Amino acid sequence: MVGLAAAFGSGAMTNSIAEIEDADCIFVIGSNTTSSHPLVATRIFRAIAKGAKLVVADPRKIQLALKADTHVRHNLGTDVALLNGMMHVILKNNWHDQQFVEERCEGFEEFKQLIDNYPPEKVAEITGVSADDIAKIAEYYAKAEAASIIYCMGITQHTTGVDNVKSLANLAMLTGNMGKESTGVNPLRGQNNVQGACDMGGLPNVYSGYQAVNVIDNQTKFESAWNAKLSDQIGLTIPFMLSGLSEGTLKALYVVGENPMVSDPDIGHVEKAIKNTEFLVVQDIFLTPTAELAHVVLPGTSFAEKDGTFTNTERRVQLLRKAIEPVGESKPDWEIIQEISNRFGYEMNYESAEDIMKEISTLTPSYGGITYERLQGDGLAWPCPDKEHPGTKFLHKDKFARGLGLFHAIDYQPPAEVVDDEYPFWLSTGRVHVHYHTGTMTRVSPTLHAEIPEGKLEMHPEDGERLGVRQGEKVKVASRRGEIIAKVILTDRVDVGVVFMPFHFVETCANVLTNPAHDPIAKIPEFKVCAVKVEKAA
Amino acid sequence: MKEQIQQHVKNLLAEGKIKGFLGLRQQGTDIGPYLFTTADELEDLSLGDRQDPGDSRYPLDKILKRIAHKYPTDTFGVLVRGCDERALRQLFAVSMLHRDRVIPVGFACPSELAEKHQCWKPFPDALVAGEVSPGFAGGEDAVGARLDLLAKLQEWFDTFDTCVKCYGCRNICPVCYCHDCTLEEAALLPTGDIPPANPNFLMTRAMHMVGRSLCVYCGLCEEVCPANIPLKSLYKLVAKVVGQEGTTPEGRAAQQKTSGSGQQAVGSQG
Repeated sequence: MVGLAAAFGSGAMTNSIAEIEDADCIFVIGSNTTSSHPLVATRIFRAIAKGAKLVVADPRKIQLALKADTHVRHNLGTDVALLNGMMHVILKNNWHDQQFVEERCEGFEEFKQLIDNYPPEKVAEITGVSADDIAKIAEYYAKAEAASIIYCMGITQHTTGVDNVKSLANLAMLTGNMGKESTGVNPLRGQNNVQGACDMGGLPNVYSGYQAVNVIDNQTKFESAWNAKLSDQIGLTIPFMLSGLSEGTLKALYVVGENPMVSDPDIGHVEKAIKNTEFLVVQDIFLTPTAELAHVVLPGTSFAEKDGTFTNTERRVQLLRKAIEPVGESKPDWEIIQEISNRFGYEMNYESAEDIMKEISTLTPSYGGITYERLQGDGLAWPCPDKEHPGTKFLHKDKFARGLGLFHAIDYQPPAEVVDDEYPFWLSTGRVHVHYHTGTMTRVSPTLHAEIPEGKLEMHPEDGERLGVRQGEKVKVASRRGEIIAKVILTDRVDVGVVFMPFHFVETCANVLTNPAHDPIAKIPEFKVCAVKVEKAA
Repeated sequence: MKEQIQQHVKNLLAEGKIKGFLGLRQQGTDIGPYLFTTADELEDLSLGDRQDPGDSRYPLDKILKRIAHKYPTDTFGVLVRGCDERALRQLFAVSMLHRDRVIPVGFACPSELAEKHQCWKPFPDALVAGEVSPGFAGGEDAVGARLDLLAKLQEWFDTFDTCVKCYGCRNICPVCYCHDCTLEEAALLPTGDIPPANPNFLMTRAMHMVGRSLCVYCGLCEEVCPANIPLKSLYKLVAKVVGQEGTTPEGRAAQQKTSGSGQQAVGSQG
């Protein structure tokens, strides 16, 4: 989100999901779309049926690769190099949109100079993708009338996550694939309301609608609305909360709907930090591994037991209606927070979720025209600044949110941890189609559990042979941070020298291995790359 | 048309003939299944036309099966189109529902919907409301070329590669009733991967649907498939291979033509 905000001035999917099916070229990078966003994959399949070209860049041979015109398997963490190589080819052949670059963007000259240093032959060495393939995918993307980029965590969960996103923004601006139907740079948000949580200021640096906390006007606005004194300091991101807990500078933690004991990198370190917490409160719908360590567990409600809204990946605010009464002692999250606040002496008197939406619309310009009444049916996509505004299908139409689109000159940086003699395998982590995040919801479903009951390590058959490991046998996987035992799946879905593990499973917890090194700006850890050694388990 | 249904159901409720009526309810612009138990609630009854006729259909028979299981001695009414009534009969035949404890309340589909889904009898016998339209008359199959199995085998396999194993086709199917589903037998169909075993997964389901002439060609599976796999065409193809051509829309339409039965006998009731 930070990368897109820097380039365009707004951090969200630029175009809507339905537009994907009318794109002429779809470039999917770092997204296992059929597995994690099957309904977006639907639009990709429809586009293919209408004749669109599909380019997939993914180290794994994912399902979507079966349908791709070209699938390239770049080395882990070499996205910037790959994209720079594509842009080199585009500039060399004059396939870029000079008019768009001149009229709508800035920073082009510096960017262009940098791109000079990325001829396909050099990029081929870094990425492992042939110069011919780089030229081919550059041509598919650049020559399409409307080309759309789709990306996900495979782009962001790197120490160069922000650089990766900015490079995608460069590619779209360079070819004029912005501010038009069926184009854009489209990050797929995983959780049904992760966009909404960010929109509501669930980040350490902003109020709702991305209004910065350290801007005095915003501070005064919220102080008068809430009749309270507010801080102008940016809060902590998760890595700093964890180190604060370890060092004792942070005493208490209130976790709502997160399970850091499975989802965060380097679990050994996380566990120490969490166990060092003087007071831990966890609010969730199931007793997660994190909740098991809590001093107090507050039972929240599931989607079926509450009213409210979800804002999905295409910025669409959608109404949620309660289907059943809350089970047991559980309450909707807002009611719990309100009760706690009242006991702390700051009075909150919301009667309903709708009451809160009324406040949201008065304080959040992009939600200004959103009311429950207007959300009936298909909902509204923000920005929706006033009551007459129909919502916004795609962003940056005639000008970027920041005015001019900004090119960034970005050099390739290798991942924080690279393979060596001691840890010779590249490990990447991700998801499987039937499980969701740390599995707290999906692993209790008998059907989903039966489909994939445990986390296994994907490894290329040649590596398996070299290590003397047969299909389904157990291996010990170790990184500099910890080790786990897991069964192996021998498959050519991964390349030789690369192994992959889903992170949903606490028993074979991939995040025991992962590297907490994170992007310097977005603070997202490098879940997608670290070095491990693998041996047959005794 | 809706008023007639509402009145009919009100009468059934008032006379104590049914414990409840399983139909569709509209909330705002959303339409979903609902068990109506009082006359007042019927204000919100919907016939499943959100923007276009029949764009909000649900397998009400299948849902009724669950309700009937919970209340085995009660009688329920259920909203049916032509296809729903066909499915209902399949469920009666395999004793998944008891025909004495179900009162179908039917309405006719417009011809555009019938054409879209190749429905040869777009109205139930238990017709309470709606103008009866002639329905699909057979003839040129839009996907006819694909029905030549051997010539198009690779094309089908390529299509199957988009399956994400969501089980949507099975879950929405009004006549899928098995307690233990073969599609979940790991020994036959390996788990853990998408696309699922190709072509075994989708072909197994196809065999189950047409091998026992279960499929009523309502087209719900095709509508929900997130991969847009033309499942109805697949079932027709398999029907052809296993000698069940007579159960396909084309086969039914042809039989209807020769026997001269069908819509004329029933006539319009509203």
